[in-house]
Amino acid sequence: MTVQLKGRPEVITIQWIPKYTFMERLGHWLHTATFVPLAITGMILYFPFLQPLAQGEAGLFIRLVHRVAAVIFGLLPIVYYLVEPRRLILHLREFLLRKEDIGWLKAAPAYYLLGKHEAMPPQGRFNAGEKLNGLMMIVTWFVFGITGIPMWFGKGVIPPEIFRWLVVFHDLAMIVSVCMLMVHLYLAVAHPLMWAGLVSMRFGVTSAEYAAEHHAKWFYGPKRAMEMWEAKKREAAHH
Amino acid sequence: MNGKKSEIQMSRREFLGLSALGLGIALANARPAAATRAVAPDEVAILYDPVKCVGCKACQMACKRWNKLPNESTDPLGIYESPQGLSAITWNIIKLRRTETGWHFFNYQCMHCTDAACVEVCPTGALYHDPKGFVALDRDKCNGCGYCTQFCPYGVPHLQVENALTGRAKSAKCVFCQDRLWAGIGGPRCAEVCPVGALTWGKRGELLEKARARVAELQAKGMSARLYGETEAGGLHRLSILLDEPEAYGLPSVPKTPTFARAWQRIIQPLGNVAFGAALLGIFGVFLFVRRKIRMEEVK
Repeated sequence: MTVQLKGRPEVITIQWIPKYTFMERLGHWLHTATFVPLAITGMILYFPFLQPLAQGEAGLFIRLVHRVAAVIFGLLPIVYYLVEPRRLILHLREFLLRKEDIGWLKAAPAYYLLGKHEAMPPQGRFNAGEKLNGLMMIVTWFVFGITGIPMWFGKGVIPPEIFRWLVVFHDLAMIVSVCMLMVHLYLAVAHPLMWAGLVSMRFGVTSAEYAAEHHAKWFYGPKRAMEMWEAKKREAAHH
Repeated sequence: MNGKKSEIQMSRREFLGLSALGLGIALANARPAAATRAVAPDEVAILYDPVKCVGCKACQMACKRWNKLPNESTDPLGIYESPQGLSAITWNIIKLRRTETGWHFFNYQCMHCTDAACVEVCPTGALYHDPKGFVALDRDKCNGCGYCTQFCPYGVPHLQVENALTGRAKSAKCVFCQDRLWAGIGGPRCAEVCPVGALTWGKRGELLEKARARVAELQAKGMSARLYGETEAGGLHRLSILLDEPEAYGLPSVPKTPTFARAWQRIIQPLGNVAFGAALLGIFGVFLFVRRKIRMEEVK
């Protein structure tokens, strides 16, 4: 695909390669479409200044929305991996933190703030930051479920001593996940270097050039990417 | 030189912008300053003296009648206790207690704490402190979340559940006959109808004096009497004379949930707000910084 920016003479050629499957994207957006209403309706009970929205009929309604969204949010990963069980193993393998992720995290501030990508070690389809975000989502998904289901059905069944802690941990999981979402949203929508992220989550494709730079281990394969990385380091040391 | 100067001006503008945002977040999250209330002697209270109580259940009946609470079907166990405890439609109950010295009655209702965990955790403001001190409930505001039922140290509020699946419910509990009080009809119906003066009501300061004298009188007779509610949970508006440890009546010596509720609402949640604020400010700062440092046209 060729692109000509408005008022500029040069023509950019973008070679698109597939990155996310249709099911992955559907899962991502259904997760978004349930998490956002869950966060909003939950925060209505959380923030004192939103109290008017929590009262009476409005409050009963937001609690109902929270429950409907929670059912979909909770079932989504289960249904997804039942439909595509092989993806479970693939995703777990992709999201496992590795040694070189430490190097990525060390180099990340200079990269994200100043655009210096020289020190960034090659990454797979998901980089260390995406992995941390993903792992946090897995942990909080479990915490939301473990605390939320008894909060729904357990009143009067489970001891109040335990119930009180469930409410607190439900809150903590919300705080962590909403903070992560804010960072995720900024990087996906507003950060200039991450321009391909939203494209690939919408259309499933990414630019080959972008993939080579940001996801070398996935683009070239781990072996070749590491060889290239070592060669680059040797060359840098040489000069 | 010029470039330097403009950079300083930019950062000042950013600084002001960021400060305004931070202040906005802090203000938006400020809790209504209803902080720690102190109990006043001219607030109203109920005093219960189980030694005078004959277990006639007139209080229980009067409560149901005035508050138009339906009767509760209980299993025909052939026992004295019916219903067996407080519920969404039973806000006042006499329970029977067996000890080595015999059978004793004890009346249970909302304790109307000054340091009320239910008020602290209620996200709607439906539960609140009446200016006269007791804990009132505005059922129109209640959204049925049920936190009050789980945080009350006495297990008083109950949910009147319409639909367990959708969560459609309303909390219910004794409200000190707030309507009677404010309409000038009288006081709490339970105390008014008590034929033996076991339940009395009035100004809390006066009741405390009366209760202390009564405790001394009972102690002089050789009973291990004590007053419950003077300081518990910031001071209760339902005072009780006990003849045993509070635990023997199912009452906590030290109600812990108000502290837990306060730690949750006033420490953990504000810390969460700090996290939200820091995340927002950090992202906004990075956004402004990156916008100048990294140019989109340089990006491949």
